[in-house]
Amino acid sequence: MSAEDSNPAATPTPCVDTQGDGRWMSLHNHFVSNSKDKEPDVLFVGDSLVQLLHQFEVWRELFSPLHALNFGVGGDATQHVLWRLSNGELAHISPKVVVLWVGTNNHGHTAEQTCGGIMAIVQLIKDKLPNAQTVILGLLPRGKMPNPLRDRNARVNKLVQEAVSSLPHASLLNVDPGFVHSDGSISHQDLYDYLHLTPQGYQAVCQTIHTHLKGLLEKTG
Amino acid sequence: MMSGDEMNPAAVAQAVVDVQGDDRWMSQHTRFVLECKDAEPEVLFIGDSMVQLMQQYEVWRELFSPLHALNFGIGGDTTCNVLWRLQNGELDNIWPKVAVVWVGTNNYEHSAEQVAGGIFAIAQLLTSRLPKTKVVVLGLLARGERPNPLREKNAAVNGLLRSLLPQLGQAQFLDVGEGFVHSDGTISTRDMFDFLHLTSAGYRAIAKPLSDLLLQILEETPEERRASLV
Repeated sequence: MSAEDSNPAATPTPCVDTQGDGRWMSLHNHFVSNSKDKEPDVLFVGDSLVQLLHQFEVWRELFSPLHALNFGVGGDATQHVLWRLSNGELAHISPKVVVLWVGTNNHGHTAEQTCGGIMAIVQLIKDKLPNAQTVILGLLPRGKMPNPLRDRNARVNKLVQEAVSSLPHASLLNVDPGFVHSDGSISHQDLYDYLHLTPQGYQAVCQTIHTHLKGLLEKTG
Repeated sequence: MMSGDEMNPAAVAQAVVDVQGDDRWMSQHTRFVLECKDAEPEVLFIGDSMVQLMQQYEVWRELFSPLHALNFGIGGDTTCNVLWRLQNGELDNIWPKVAVVWVGTNNYEHSAEQVAGGIFAIAQLLTSRLPKTKVVVLGLLARGERPNPLREKNAAVNGLLRSLLPQLGQAQFLDVGEGFVHSDGTISTRDMFDFLHLTSAGYRAIAKPLSDLLLQILEETPEERRASLV
């Protein structure tokens, strides 16, 4: 039995349409066909934190100029992103950099399993895009006050950092500008529901990403 | 029409249980209750993510902040959750001139009749707690890329609300869904980035008729509006 079989976070799994309007599959198909005539240098892929970024001005200011595509889907956990990338979303494009932001929705999975899921995605990207760099964004803290999910996300980041330390094609980028205040609280001005970023929250996070991307893109030429 | 609210699960107040582990729903509710202590809103928005997300876009600052609006939207909320919040502090110490209600699309377990009954119960609660407040109930938008059962259900809810709401003198129904479904039956990601949640352009389209109606209502109310239009 391979490692993937025993880790649900690392087993490609499509989202089941429980609501009844097929939106997840519509979005996936949309991304696949959308990529047919695009030549992005950067691909952002992940969950709602990626998806929502596309809706705000900051995307147009910082990432459109870098020829970036956005394949974020709200609610996605690592196994969903793994499925999407295995089923066409990388078939027609050759970005130089893939920015991966996923893991906060892996409810029911341990930090170790979630890290395994992230690393499975990194391996898949390497298989399909041998010349691409993968930038894994660290999971942000969540919840208004300290809670087990903050600990879990921090542990995922630590495990991922260790796992990529020996890999030339992947790295972990910490994009938390310090959302947690000295009293342990997170402000709704940064994370409007203590999970999703406000435009103000995105500004801080995206500066870090943008600077890092520019550096990477200049190197790859 | 359901004969008694106790028969309608969509009209039963219910808090969200924290299954994820970071208690965000209660944190948001608590924050809203606190906001009621100091705020003097003329407009109260209450509902689900359709309400909540609007506050993150420019259109909120341009059209609704100047009306002294409060935003009590929480993503994922059903009619049950909104009822609970309104009964547990989110109406304390505020006397808005208008309450805008937008909820129902997340009531997956309930029929169209039940959902309409749940929304009606919210409007009833508002008009009884705040007799001078006008209630504007927004119609549920179509969703999904192509025709699907949820579109039919949401349309059925809207149809029921059109006939139910006039029973409450202070409440009215506003359909803001015009134009989202194209002639081929599809919805574009330019309007709804995930075929459910609105983009900036999508919000602009609905904000215009809504703010026009709000301005009209605010101008009609006898007490002079303190809000500046800048």
